[in-house]
Amino acid sequence: MRTLENIILKLGSVDRRVIFVLIGLAVLVPLLRPVDLAIRPGEDSQKVYDTIEAMPENSNILISFDYGPSTRPEIHPMTLGVMRHLLSQDRGHKIYITCLWPDGLYMAKDALETINEEYDLVKNEDYVLLGFRPGNEAIVKGLESDLRKVFTVDAEQTPIDDIPMMEGINSLNDFQFIFTGSAGYPGTFEWVQYGGDPTGVTLSSGTTSIQVNEVMPYVKNEQLKGILAGMPGAAEYEALIGIRGIATNGMAAQSYGHIVIVLFIILGNLAYFITQRRERKY
Amino acid sequence: MEQLSFSTILGAWIAAFLTLGIFSYLYRDNPFYKIAEHVFVGVSAAYWAATFYWTQIYPNLFGRLFAVGGPFENIYVIDKGHEFSVLYFFPLLLGIMMLLSVFKQFNWMARWGIAYTVGIAAGLKAFGYLKSNVVEQIKASAVDLFSGSMPFFYNDTTDWYGDTVFNNIVLLVGTISALMYFYFSKEQSGGYGRFTRLGVYFLMISFGASFGFAVMGRISLLIGRFNDLILFSGPSYDYGTFWMLGFIIAVLAYWSFKNPEKQEV
Repeated sequence: MRTLENIILKLGSVDRRVIFVLIGLAVLVPLLRPVDLAIRPGEDSQKVYDTIEAMPENSNILISFDYGPSTRPEIHPMTLGVMRHLLSQDRGHKIYITCLWPDGLYMAKDALETINEEYDLVKNEDYVLLGFRPGNEAIVKGLESDLRKVFTVDAEQTPIDDIPMMEGINSLNDFQFIFTGSAGYPGTFEWVQYGGDPTGVTLSSGTTSIQVNEVMPYVKNEQLKGILAGMPGAAEYEALIGIRGIATNGMAAQSYGHIVIVLFIILGNLAYFITQRRERKY
Repeated sequence: MEQLSFSTILGAWIAAFLTLGIFSYLYRDNPFYKIAEHVFVGVSAAYWAATFYWTQIYPNLFGRLFAVGGPFENIYVIDKGHEFSVLYFFPLLLGIMMLLSVFKQFNWMARWGIAYTVGIAAGLKAFGYLKSNVVEQIKASAVDLFSGSMPFFYNDTTDWYGDTVFNNIVLLVGTISALMYFYFSKEQSGGYGRFTRLGVYFLMISFGASFGFAVMGRISLLIGRFNDLILFSGPSYDYGTFWMLGFIIAVLAYWSFKNPEKQEV
């Protein structure tokens, strides 16, 4: 027993760099040698999927790219998944893209490039890239009252009056569904507070894991129709639409990384309690 | 094999260098980490400044002040589809006043701009928060306790699936006990103290969930960086990751030899 305790004490006080290396390896190895893990969609991802499935034909869909390269691994698979889902239905949905983050524009361009390889989209006929406007929640509020005041030109400086797809699009009320891929401020909270709630337009979101706990009350209250929660949410959505993407490939790495972290948390706690007990004894 | 352009390969090598430079902090604070950190801060600041100017100030402010058909048409024209509006001199003036904070004798002027910004933000936030976070969340918390409207678990493969009153009770007790913990006008002792203690446990579960999600997010970001490093280690990128890794390890080894880590006493 004492030998086991000594081993736990040693493992519990291991140098932090060893832990970093082990976590790194646990994440890297499954990426080099992919492992298939069963992915079962959860209630919240399913709700996003069902909401899009229930959209009437020829719906106007607004997708907001509210993230940058730093959170790309988590959010990009979600926006790609939602776009793939909308386009695979072949029901004449039109996609309008906005960005509350400046680097969101490049994420949107990257997503469109990927999607274009699969669906051969026509600019300004299948989608409009409205682009980025600084102003955070003021932009969402502006879109709610008068979209044409916020966007006079699209991302490539084309006047939106010259884009036929923009005909009849004057405010958020002209959309049937809004999806925000959000990595923080401005993002999901601002879309709920100034977009979804005041207009009643159906709103869903894909967020980074770190935001999930705070966003959940909106989901439970139906202010958000489902949520794609971090990389697992993205992987669940990929499972729902039947396309294996980067999120699915990352789930094994995610799981093994977690196992190592949980093991060290347990070891650290055991070592703490053993040390405490020994100190009380002597 | 796809032939990539020189600029793409160079970009990948720089990305690999900066990523590995940041990772090198795990060993210890070193010049590579410092280079990556300073480049990140500098590029971020410059990127934001340029983006804000070209996407907001230039088209939306100057685009309205120097609009086609405006009074300054003969001096300078910015055609961004806007009409001239004299009102936009007001934000220009406030902006200039905020910049004057760098001069000691004029720094009082900055308060006007700041006051305006804070006032607008407060007004805008108050509306959104009251509606979505206060009113809606109070409505959502006020569930019919015995309606059984909230399922125990979503997953219908378990025996626990179905409508129960369990979650309604958890919601009620959790909300009230956690709120009571922040009520400091009554001493938290006896039965009341035990109830507020329960609120602390609810808060701890919530913080635990937040911590778990935070860890998950960080691992996702690590996966993203590894995915890029794996991509850049291929022949189409001229094995950029390996070259950068070798370079950083070699220089770090030499640097460590010259600057041995001081042992803490």
